[in-house]
Amino acid sequence: MNCRSEVLEVSVEGRQIDEAMLALVHTILLHRSTGKFHYKKEGTYSIGTVGTQDIDCDFIDFSFVRVSSDELDRVIRKAVGDFKDAMGNGTDGMGQISLEFYQKKKSRWPFSDECIPWEVWSIKVHVVNLANEQERQICREKVGEKLGEKVINIVEVINRHEYLPKMPTQSEVDNVFDTSLKDVQPYLYKITFQITDTLGTSVSTTMRRLIKDTLAL
Amino acid sequence: MAAHFDTEYQRLEASYSDSPPGEENLLVHIPDGNKSPWHHIENLDLFFQRVYNLHQKNGFTCMLLGEVFELVQLLFVVGFTVFLANCVDYDILFANKLVNHTDSSKVTLPDAFLPMDVCSAHIRDNVAVMFVLVISGVFWLHRLIKFLYNVCCYWEIRSFYTNALKISMAELPYFTWQEVQARIVEIQKEHQICIHKKELTELDIYHRILRFKNYMVAMVNKSLLPVRFRPPLLGEIVFYTRGLKYNFELIFFWGPGSLFKSEWSLKPEYKRGGNRLELAEKLASRILWIGIANLVLCPVILVWQILYAFFSYTEVIKREPGSLGARCWSLYGRCYLRHFNELDHELMSRLSKGYKASSKYMNCFLSPLLTVVAKNVAFFAGSLLAVLIALTIYDEDVLAVEHVLSSITLLGVCITICRSFIPDKHLVYCPEQLLRVILAHIHYMPDHWQGNAHRYETRDQFSQLFQYKAVFILEELISPVVTPFILIFSLRRKSLEIIDFFRNFTVEVVGVGDTCSFAQMDVRQHGHPAWMSEGKTEASIYQQAEDGKTELSLMHFAITNPQWNPPTETTHFISQLKERVHREATGDAHTHTLTSLSESEPRSLIANFLTGPPSLASLHLGRHGSMTNHEPIGNSDGASALRSLSVNSMRGSYSSTHRSAGHTSSANRAMVGSGTDARTASSGSSAWEGQLTSLVLSEYASTEMSIHALYIHELHKQQSQGELSRHTWHRQDSDDSSDSVTEDRGAGGGNPSSRNPIPRSHTFPVSTPTSTPAPVSNSGPPPDRGATPGQEEAPVQTNSQHRCWANTVSVGSEGRGVRSARGPMGGWAEDGNQGRHPYTVPEEGSEDDTPPNIHKVT
Repeated sequence: MNCRSEVLEVSVEGRQIDEAMLALVHTILLHRSTGKFHYKKEGTYSIGTVGTQDIDCDFIDFSFVRVSSDELDRVIRKAVGDFKDAMGNGTDGMGQISLEFYQKKKSRWPFSDECIPWEVWSIKVHVVNLANEQERQICREKVGEKLGEKVINIVEVINRHEYLPKMPTQSEVDNVFDTSLKDVQPYLYKITFQITDTLGTSVSTTMRRLIKDTLAL
Repeated sequence: MAAHFDTEYQRLEASYSDSPPGEENLLVHIPDGNKSPWHHIENLDLFFQRVYNLHQKNGFTCMLLGEVFELVQLLFVVGFTVFLANCVDYDILFANKLVNHTDSSKVTLPDAFLPMDVCSAHIRDNVAVMFVLVISGVFWLHRLIKFLYNVCCYWEIRSFYTNALKISMAELPYFTWQEVQARIVEIQKEHQICIHKKELTELDIYHRILRFKNYMVAMVNKSLLPVRFRPPLLGEIVFYTRGLKYNFELIFFWGPGSLFKSEWSLKPEYKRGGNRLELAEKLASRILWIGIANLVLCPVILVWQILYAFFSYTEVIKREPGSLGARCWSLYGRCYLRHFNELDHELMSRLSKGYKASSKYMNCFLSPLLTVVAKNVAFFAGSLLAVLIALTIYDEDVLAVEHVLSSITLLGVCITICRSFIPDKHLVYCPEQLLRVILAHIHYMPDHWQGNAHRYETRDQFSQLFQYKAVFILEELISPVVTPFILIFSLRRKSLEIIDFFRNFTVEVVGVGDTCSFAQMDVRQHGHPAWMSEGKTEASIYQQAEDGKTELSLMHFAITNPQWNPPTETTHFISQLKERVHREATGDAHTHTLTSLSESEPRSLIANFLTGPPSLASLHLGRHGSMTNHEPIGNSDGASALRSLSVNSMRGSYSSTHRSAGHTSSANRAMVGSGTDARTASSGSSAWEGQLTSLVLSEYASTEMSIHALYIHELHKQQSQGELSRHTWHRQDSDDSSDSVTEDRGAGGGNPSSRNPIPRSHTFPVSTPTSTPAPVSNSGPPPDRGATPGQEEAPVQTNSQHRCWANTVSVGSEGRGVRSARGPMGGWAEDGNQGRHPYTVPEEGSEDDTPPNIHKVT
């Protein structure tokens, strides 16, 4: 658990899910991305630029800034789309999307490489059902305000001087940054989601723990 | 967001151009890289545990060798036993059958061995032997895999020691844990092994290493675990074995479906009070299943247990030199006597120091009847033996007569056993003082032992903590049979209480995760008013740690970790206590002030145990090896040692260099009595100086702790004299607070006022503390506490480092209610408690412990 965890909670209408999620995830990623590194011979590097782009939402009175990288956007959109599909349409529900930043650590032979998270953002979503158009209108504004607050929240958290992985050398850059995109370079991240509060951990983790514990001295 | 920006930044008009990347006028960065692999370790709990283990096992090579030998040993033991049972022809060995040798009449050892094929047929035919062989094969493989896995893990820890901590494996045995810990704290600043904070504290490390142990200690302290039983005929017994402990840990901490999600966090649903009944039911059914599994696997576990007992037994001997004697500290005793946040080696050294006094104490209670019998048996056996030996000396052919050698051996054994029942004529036992000395080391004891040290009840209860080793092994062996029943019938009934316990006493600490709130050692939340924290505590009876555990643990931790910076309130408590002890020491050892006007101050307490009983100070300071100088030091010496210590540690200069210098001087000052030691301490070479100082320091720390423990107990005794004590020897389980308990209490004295008139036995010279001043708080109205209205407010944790989630966040307002005194659920039903004085509760087992709703789940 040697990692920070931040929890954001929003309640939105069914059709606002993906925009709200996109807004939050993109905001976090905007602050957790750098330009591409260009390593030079003497072990130094320079950082490329990152473009930004304003996005207006259709169902929420809100616009947010994201990294202008279509590739990144596509990946995020896909994850959020999956999440929305899993949530189902129009029903009351709870779901949680987590954005986890991690770094890889090379291990010696018998063990596989470890992915060690250092920051986890959990966004909890309540889906509400609204009866009529007037309520929808109010919701549209309120969700916009709420998202604004969350964005400020995120920026505050990110502004704190807290642990970040150290800037890597050329050989290690893959352990810290996601270098697969060609115009931007976010910290390694992972997006997972979970629909209801599933009780208990999965069987595999329990088994792993059991084995590990019997092996421990 | 801000609508407009009024900053002073202006756009540069002329030279602004968006140059493409790769140009030379760009900013150039230098990567700092990850030179050390020790930043941001994923599982810090495990990591610190391994660091601690490696330190305790004296380095990598020692550990490796030890493990290899254990593996070989196991193979040897199993193989040899099977060989002896199946492959030896005993008839030949006993000469019942003749061997037809041609060349000579001598029987050789190989003659007695059965041929290979007969032997293996024997083994294959015997189902039991095969069963044992298969199980031990699995056991051995398990250990082998474990060993290989550990080698890989500990290799990493080894490189952590050498590269990050800069301690080579050869030097490691000469480092104390405190030094290692100081280095870890130091490198956190550089490597950030924990990413939550810039700096680690000692307490964080302890919390991580001892997370589950603290829970266990707290559960034993609050009598939550079913370890006391009252079977017919046997009286009250404590049954707590390794198997039981393993099962408890499996159920609570790491087994499938346990309460903990991972090593560091409790599952969120257990933090909420809402569905506690469902959770309790779930837990109950889980316990049932584990119990049944235990029952089914009983024979396997039994064999496993025997193998395991054999090996851990050798390990115990290695770890604990005192265990070579006839007695050992029971597993329950270790839990009962353990402070919160006390590492294994600290506990072990403490208990080992108390070992001698404890066995002496137990030896006081030789039955006179047995003594008479033993004397006579020894007489007859001795005369027979003497005759046989005399005859042998005269003519050694006597030995050749059948059974003469064996009868000589048997008679010898018989005499040895008898001798152990005959007390030494030239020893005078003072049980009361011995118990004091024991208390100085073990730090905990129930109130009613004091003044009753000579009674059999006390002895019996003490023997629950300090049992015969034979009993220990026996218990271990029957444990596989008994454990399932305990789980199914006793533990299952407690499931609701357990759920409540984990909910109420878990706090989330930033950078550590979920820990037992008792382990925070916050006097305010868990202090007990009868134990020095009067007026400071806001805990309800349910929240108070028993036996002054919070207070004593706090003192112990502060003394063993002088660099630890406790939160302000705690600092206040510590310094106040130290000051009091210090004042006592100086005031009384030198000037012998009479009872002063301030009645509330228990004057001359220190004098009591430093000067009062003859040579107690030297007993506990000198003879039991708690000081480096082994000559008994005089009273004033002890007092001055104490004074210099407490003055020094109160000074509050925490920078490490300053500290070591200060303590060297204090050590010097205190050790003037034995000049040589002082000289070595001061004139040692620079390389050794630090180590020596820290060793001396730890000795002094334990002495200081002993004095503080005695002081706190003495104070507690005076405070509770004349009042009805709510304190009883081990809070009873809710269900067996039957009439027999009360009867026992009446006789044994859970209740000091009824205890006092008990006529003291004439056989033991009982030392009544003669110089004790008149009990000060005897008649005065007991201070009002506990039921103050201020308690209704949920305790606000002022400590900035800790966020108390259970209190404020996840449980919400409901949890607030639970944590504050009058919890509606869980805890003890305390309705109508407002006006009731806590001291007037004679038995909390009967009234406090059992709210009606707890009985719903059976």
